[in-house]
Amino acid sequence: MAADVDIFASEGSVRGPLLGSLALHVAVFLLALFGYLIPFGHRESWGGTTGGGGAISATLVDTIPLPAPPVETQNVLANESKGLTQSPPKETPKEEPKAIPIPAREAKRKGPNEERKKPPPKEVAKVEPNKIPFGEGGPVSGPYGTFSAGGAKGGLSFTGGTGDFGSRFGWYVDAVRRKVSQNWLEYEVDPSIVTAHRVYITFDITRSGQPVNIQIEQSSGVPSLDISALRALQRIDTFGPLPQEYSGNYVSVEFWFDYKR
Amino acid sequence: MTRTIFTMPWMKRFTAFSLFFLSAVTLLSAQAWIRTGTGLGVEKIRLAVPDFKLITNDTGTQNLAMTFNTTLADDLQNAGIFDMVSRSFFPLQVPGAPQEVDLSAWGNPPPNAGMLVFGNLAVQQGYLNVQGWLYDTKNPQLPQVLGKQYREQATDENARLIAHRFADEIIFRLGGGVPGIAESKIYFVSNRSGAKEIWQMDYDGANQKQLTHLGSIALSPRISPDGSRVAFCGLTKGGWQILMYSLDLGRLVSFPHFAGDNYSPAWSSDGQNIAFSSSRSGHPEIYAVNSFGAGLHALTQGKGPDVSPVWNPKTNAEIAFVSGRTKLPQIYTMASDGTNLVRVTDQGYAVSPAWSPNGQFLAFAWIRHYGPGAPGASDIYVMDVASKQWVQLTHDAGRNDFPSWSPDNRHIVFQSNRTGKEEIWTMLADGSQQRQLTTKGENSQPNWSFK
Repeated sequence: MAADVDIFASEGSVRGPLLGSLALHVAVFLLALFGYLIPFGHRESWGGTTGGGGAISATLVDTIPLPAPPVETQNVLANESKGLTQSPPKETPKEEPKAIPIPAREAKRKGPNEERKKPPPKEVAKVEPNKIPFGEGGPVSGPYGTFSAGGAKGGLSFTGGTGDFGSRFGWYVDAVRRKVSQNWLEYEVDPSIVTAHRVYITFDITRSGQPVNIQIEQSSGVPSLDISALRALQRIDTFGPLPQEYSGNYVSVEFWFDYKR
Repeated sequence: MTRTIFTMPWMKRFTAFSLFFLSAVTLLSAQAWIRTGTGLGVEKIRLAVPDFKLITNDTGTQNLAMTFNTTLADDLQNAGIFDMVSRSFFPLQVPGAPQEVDLSAWGNPPPNAGMLVFGNLAVQQGYLNVQGWLYDTKNPQLPQVLGKQYREQATDENARLIAHRFADEIIFRLGGGVPGIAESKIYFVSNRSGAKEIWQMDYDGANQKQLTHLGSIALSPRISPDGSRVAFCGLTKGGWQILMYSLDLGRLVSFPHFAGDNYSPAWSSDGQNIAFSSSRSGHPEIYAVNSFGAGLHALTQGKGPDVSPVWNPKTNAEIAFVSGRTKLPQIYTMASDGTNLVRVTDQGYAVSPAWSPNGQFLAFAWIRHYGPGAPGASDIYVMDVASKQWVQLTHDAGRNDFPSWSPDNRHIVFQSNRTGKEEIWTMLADGSQQRQLTTKGENSQPNWSFK
């Protein structure tokens, strides 16, 4: 017999691991067969003769207690008391630096310093009570970063998750959103679809503003909607260069598309 | 025995994997993320543009300031992407420098501005110095989006130029990377000098000046993509020929003459080819040559006149043109080698196709109901080439023809006789903000520059 080459060259004997593997296989097999015997807490008995089983016992009575008619609640708007909502507290008027009686020369010198020490004004729009907001309608006020996705995705939640970029460069986020929305041609979606889940597309924006690495992160389940979302991104050459104050080389974007016919 | 990750003792293996995993996670979390989506509101940006503050206060500076302020406000208003805050809502104190800005006064009612443009003007030693800023009123921590400084000789022309440049910068930043059109030009035909010649003007109708002095008839001007030459067709001793005017040299330059009558030259957006219609074979067909006039080859053949070619500026792989092969003129598209002919309009009388810079839309003049007894008005329509859905942009206002797209894809310039004679008009690509640009003489056949 010719010497046969041992092609299964291994460093040591396979005996140890082989025995271990065999033991595990036997354990799994036994578990599958007899696992029901292991007491795992409360066990339901299926249709046994001993009581239980969740059946309701019925007894004969003369009268049935009917639900009472609803009690009429006080109409909050009709009476004189204050409503449930509270108006924001009146802000105390800021002290005018120039109101302090000091000689004119010193006032001029102090002027610029005073302005620098003043804290930056709050960004939330204040609506004074009993005053109809006048002037023309304006953009949504508040930090740009709070867009909640709300879509369930494997247990992760994205509420307000734009981080630093959105609050610093809200105008750039707005431009991205506007451009993608304008380039999304809804007629590309199958006409028989009335509503669909959101499709999430992720892409990166390079320093020059070009979208790259365009991918579907979570499909809506409707192929034509997914493809129309991808095409919207592909149509865009550039969003405009990233802001100069931003130090990174690119920004990652997760964009969702809500379709409603 | 070779050491691999699978032969290491399990403890070491575990720490190796976990270290790798942790480092991957920290690397991922270091980059910035944006999460946003559709349906969150794509309302226009509310922009407040108060007058720039004057630092030097003499009559000369005041006149320049007035030119500058009106030009800047007009450019931003015409861009079509802003909702301009009315001047009556401006706070009384107008800022001239960043330390004078009160963001809450501008960002809250009544102005409710989303963005603020402000700055100052000064004339010193014959030079006009302008400093301008663009501030985000909703972001007090980091409000500056743009800060620019300009210095030119103090003339009215330069005040307008600086305003155009600053407006273009603002539009570029806030309009998603599409450059503004404030410095673009429109070329058109005017007979106010006595004969039809080619003229040039700014996109807002300013600086109208004559280019050609042929003395006969010059029609259908088309500027080259690099802005150096204007191709047009003119009536010469040898019939209608394609002529070339050089803007750099200020005169006609040579271009080959072809047999028959030659009309409507069209540049491809890479500047390499010119398509035109020529009747050298007996009736008009579409031909193409290179930018020097060599390499003549036919693109269409068969019965029916084929005229008015335009290239798809995005791909240069398609040409739209007008054909009378079914009697009334209809718009067709074909590949740039003449194959794959597709009919675009289904009825009426359709002429003057113009392809949008992004390659998606065709604007053209259409008389949808043509013939004896039909209303027969010619209006500008825009059609999405892929889906063949169209929108009518002009209504009940004379005869509208010869549309041409702006380089930012948002404006269309066209000719209209609604005032009684042919004039050049401009509008946004949705048909709104229609404005007249010319008033003297008869003006027609406008062509917007490529940049």
